[in-house]
Amino acid sequence: MRAVLRWTLTRLLIMAVTLLGTSVVIFFAVRQMPGGYESVVLGPLASEEQRQAAAERYGLDQPVLVQYWHWVTGAVQGDFGISLVSQVPVIQELALRLPVTVTLALMALSAAVLIGVPLGVLTGLRSTSRSGGALGRTVAGLGISVPEFVLGSVALFVVSSVASCFSVGNLASLSGEPATLVRALVLPAAVLGLYCLAATARTTRDAVMNVLVEPHVTAAVARGETPGHIVRHHVLRNASVPVLTLLGTITAYLLGGAVIVETVFNIPGVGSYMVTGLGRHDYAVVQATVLLAAVAFIVINTVLDIAASLVDPRVAAAGGRR
Amino acid sequence: MTAGTAGTAGEKDGVIVSVTGLAAAYRVRGEDSPALAGVDLRVDAGERLGIVGESGSGKTTLALALGGMLPRSCHLSAGRIESCGTTVRGAGGETADAAQLRALRRERIAFIAQDPAASLDPTMRIGRQFSLAMRAQGTPMTDAAIDEALAAVRIERPDEVRRLYPHQISGGMAQRVAIAMAVARRPQLLIADEPTAALDAEVRTEVLGLIVRLAEEHRITLLWVSHDIPAVRRWCTRAVVMNEGRIVEEGPVGTVLVEPEHAYTRQLVNALRAEGTEGDGR
Repeated sequence: MRAVLRWTLTRLLIMAVTLLGTSVVIFFAVRQMPGGYESVVLGPLASEEQRQAAAERYGLDQPVLVQYWHWVTGAVQGDFGISLVSQVPVIQELALRLPVTVTLALMALSAAVLIGVPLGVLTGLRSTSRSGGALGRTVAGLGISVPEFVLGSVALFVVSSVASCFSVGNLASLSGEPATLVRALVLPAAVLGLYCLAATARTTRDAVMNVLVEPHVTAAVARGETPGHIVRHHVLRNASVPVLTLLGTITAYLLGGAVIVETVFNIPGVGSYMVTGLGRHDYAVVQATVLLAAVAFIVINTVLDIAASLVDPRVAAAGGRR
Repeated sequence: MTAGTAGTAGEKDGVIVSVTGLAAAYRVRGEDSPALAGVDLRVDAGERLGIVGESGSGKTTLALALGGMLPRSCHLSAGRIESCGTTVRGAGGETADAAQLRALRRERIAFIAQDPAASLDPTMRIGRQFSLAMRAQGTPMTDAAIDEALAAVRIERPDEVRRLYPHQISGGMAQRVAIAMAVARRPQLLIADEPTAALDAEVRTEVLGLIVRLAEEHRITLLWVSHDIPAVRRWCTRAVVMNEGRIVEEGPVGTVLVEPEHAYTRQLVNALRAEGTEGDGR
């Protein structure tokens, strides 16, 4: 237990350092983008005095480290600044868009967990049979190899011309009822979910197949334990670490905004907000959305690293070298 | 008698294992590679039988076949196997079903693997997996009984070891745990396949002595697959020598491994003498 505690504290420390480093990289990388704050706000024809006034207004005349300190302390308190284009606080826009992205992420993630994991376990256990192997390979191959924008475009075409039960592109306004939101997200969530499902099913299948040939499973077979008992007690837990890691990566990716799917389906989520911000050189928006994606990735991976050490104590004992 | 049914006649006669004309082959890249060719073997209750031979001679295949544990790539093409009263394979080729084989392994045969640490579930504490294994057999054990079983294999502070994970104990201790788990099930036949191959010399002698002592104490028949001829000579009562899937010589260890008749056995024993490793099984 001491190893797990030490591992947890180490991971938390690494997380804090990584978050700090990431914030530095984001802050300075955004400032390397072509065009300055003043140019975006005032346009190319503004006078030097106007630029000076804008620089003072946004604190751009202060030393870079002071600017960074203001930005990072503001971000910690939920203040990401004001969108240079819309002049609306970024946090207000995020508050509207985040529920959309989170709902989309949860729907896609549900497919990965509720369908992908059992499918992976099933095909992993039946990997030696022809049907099991073929099913696993087909689902994983299709889901992973077809790009989201292709699948999304096909789904849009099919649904808009054949089925009317799902609304398409109805999310331009964010003031709809929760039921409307969910209904409008079914199709994009299905497209996104298929990829997540396929990746999860394949990783689960591989993990199960790897565990099935481990000597401790052979030892359980040699003790005459039933297949159900072996799977429940000796396979699932051992196979869960790579699956947890993948689910963490998928969750972080989805919470950071599924950029392609949100763009294809015109969903006003965090991902499309970031793309719009980049297109308009809206640095406050870009900084905030990239930071949000990075924080989601780092925090979720840290949580899952800790969870992995609880599931498999060797992870903590080896210091994550496995 | 159909496959899987109890061969009570054999047990009454004190025969634990009866193998007749057994042939097996591994399917490698679409072709059969023979592993056993007409093996006949009889093991009586209470015996300590050592099966020796070079790698690839068919020792492990024979041992696995007794418990219906052959890998999918291996198939039996002829012969009859009766283990602890269960007909694993009948003379007509009929085989025991999965449930019958599980019952055989759960109730009457125990295996001890080569790599002790790997044969324990790495994500589960020793006590928990001991308890689960016993529960799966239908004979649950309390923590105190598990401690007693661990103490019987000379594990000091068993209550502490019970709470450890496999990666937290040494290879020698892991093998003792594996032996305790096997013996606690009170099998009729204990099959140990190179049980000390992963251990150093000092621990090896201790573990072998332990296996033999427990087998005698609980009247368990021991079938020991090994490369280690001096150790087989020291600990077993009878030896079987295998070469290229056949039994070339068998008999009391004092005869077979001291004054062998077959040329192959003489070669094995002479090689040991030439190497100067013909010790007392340590």
